[in-house]
Amino acid sequence: MPRSLRVRLLLGAAIAIFLALAAAWVAMTLLFERHVERRIEADLVRDGLQLAAALSIAANGAPALEREPGDARFFEPASGLYWQVSTQKGSLSSRSLWDQRLPDPKEVSSLDWYHSIVNGPFEQRVVLVARLIRPERAGSDVLVQLAHEQKSLHEAREEFGEELAAFLAMLWLILSIAAWVQVELGLRPLRHVRNEVDLLKRNPRERIAAAHVAEIEPLTNAINELAEARERDLGRARRRAADLAHGLKTPLAALSAQSRRAREAGATEAADGLDHAIAAATSAIEGELARSRAAAIRAAPSGDTTVALPLLESLVGVVEKTEFGAKLVFEVNVPDQLRVPVATEDLLEIAGALIENAARYARRRVRITGEATGAGCLIIEDDGPGIDSEKVSHALARGARLDEAGSGHGLGLAIANDLVDATRGQMTLVRSELAGLKVTIAWPAGQNVQDAVR
Amino acid sequence: MRALVIEDETAVAKDLAQALGGAGFVVDVAGEGEDAWYKGSVEDYDVAVLDLGLPRIDGLSVLKRWRDGQRTFPVLILSARNDWTEKVAGIEAGADDYLGKPFEMGELIARVRGLVRRAAGRASSTIEVGDLLLDTHRMSATYSGRPIRLSQLEFRFLDYLAHQSGRAVSAGELAEHLYGADEPGDSNAIEALVVRLRRKMSPQVIETRRGFGYLLAGGHQV
Repeated sequence: MPRSLRVRLLLGAAIAIFLALAAAWVAMTLLFERHVERRIEADLVRDGLQLAAALSIAANGAPALEREPGDARFFEPASGLYWQVSTQKGSLSSRSLWDQRLPDPKEVSSLDWYHSIVNGPFEQRVVLVARLIRPERAGSDVLVQLAHEQKSLHEAREEFGEELAAFLAMLWLILSIAAWVQVELGLRPLRHVRNEVDLLKRNPRERIAAAHVAEIEPLTNAINELAEARERDLGRARRRAADLAHGLKTPLAALSAQSRRAREAGATEAADGLDHAIAAATSAIEGELARSRAAAIRAAPSGDTTVALPLLESLVGVVEKTEFGAKLVFEVNVPDQLRVPVATEDLLEIAGALIENAARYARRRVRITGEATGAGCLIIEDDGPGIDSEKVSHALARGARLDEAGSGHGLGLAIANDLVDATRGQMTLVRSELAGLKVTIAWPAGQNVQDAVR
Repeated sequence: MRALVIEDETAVAKDLAQALGGAGFVVDVAGEGEDAWYKGSVEDYDVAVLDLGLPRIDGLSVLKRWRDGQRTFPVLILSARNDWTEKVAGIEAGADDYLGKPFEMGELIARVRGLVRRAAGRASSTIEVGDLLLDTHRMSATYSGRPIRLSQLEFRFLDYLAHQSGRAVSAGELAEHLYGADEPGDSNAIEALVVRLRRKMSPQVIETRRGFGYLLAGGHQV
């Protein structure tokens, strides 16, 4: 069975139409044959009546004719059209019959013409009509027989059958095309649904528009419900990850209190061990959180875009409150309406990590620049010591480095890089003209933005 | 010095109370949001350490209610979520600093002390120069009646200029004031700061006197 609904419907329609037309061909050919046969019989009966009208009985009891039927074929031997009148005493026949005789009918009456198809003269199959006629009231019966060969009947049927077949083949083609049009029209709403499902795949917040046709409505409703369930699940997964972090971090804070107490009680070594374990667990949690966020973005890119400037100003407002941020000047050179193809909360995480990282290492200044190249580009620079070029790839290595990098340059950069990568952007690190690190995050044109516009 | 600790995890709350007590604070503890809101609204504290994940009323709502009720004591937020969405929400709700869990107790004490020192050092007064009004207590400013959010550095810059009675101050002097005499001056940073302040308020708020330095508009000595 073909997997395509269209092929199935088309194949089904073509076969059904073919079978119907074939049955019509057989039936119509039979009807035609019967019709022609009846016409021949009617002609024979007409000639028979002419014969009967001219018939008499001679004195010796043999039949006699005043005049023969005039059809030329009665005079040409083996022409296919024959007559014969006979009594027990003798018989007369057409010249076309020559030295042959028409076979005696199996049953015959004086009431009506007897019809049959029998083996006739000259090894021909013939249509035979026969009747008993009594020309004189007191005389004996005369058997009147007329025959017409069947071959011409067959030829007519074959000709008719061929012409009919050609016509029906054309009809089959036309009906199949009509069926194809019908299938296309019928399936069009499904194609709409498929396109919208494609959109939905790219953007989980997308929904299928109200049903185009009543039959599809249950399907679109079900898909929309599924999409909602998926979005809820995604949100739940994110919340669960955050809850997990909360659930682990608070006990870690409690553990850190224990460690402090142990240190106060003089158990420095035990406290060191505890602190080390706490730090490792903390960075593992941060790494896992960042990774699950990146995975969530990859699994379901939001297709959202965000106006960068207000969000960057908010982040600068937060970093300015921190110990190292308080001493710095933040230059924000971002056009008012610059949009980047990242959801607000994801851009907050990316830019937050980068701005905090820059602030941590800057001496006096952090510069944030926005450009409308591609689908959007942000540059974050500081005037700190910068990063060695051989450490760049190490700092950016996705996933693997998150746990090991600690809370230095590495963690913030690696988290941001992972998220940028998940949003199909690209992050590059070079030395800034301010002397420190210059981080460029750029999103190539023609991806998420287009999805969002559609 | 009175501190309010709001934390639902008993072990952490106890540890915080103990550490802050050791640092010279008189500490009250609240274990859930409603109690915290009530205590912060009726008692006078010098600082509050507020956990965001609280039962009944969450930490962010408690903070908003305090700020809506004109409670201005500095607040340090503690959070397990530690993401930027929450940090931004916290600072915009009126928090003064932010620390993710788990934290180093030493760092927390240092930050709490920093918050108290900043708040206590400010005399409750305002300075008006032209369209600019500086509130030295809240370290905030309004320009032509519009509130402007300032970083510490920006505030100190404006505060210094406002106290010069119309004298133009050179970039070098400003850098020395802002970063200390032993740090090398950086006129680029001062220039960037001026650009940023002009963008935040108005291009006219700070005037440049070529060869002399900067002064606030409307502060001319006649």
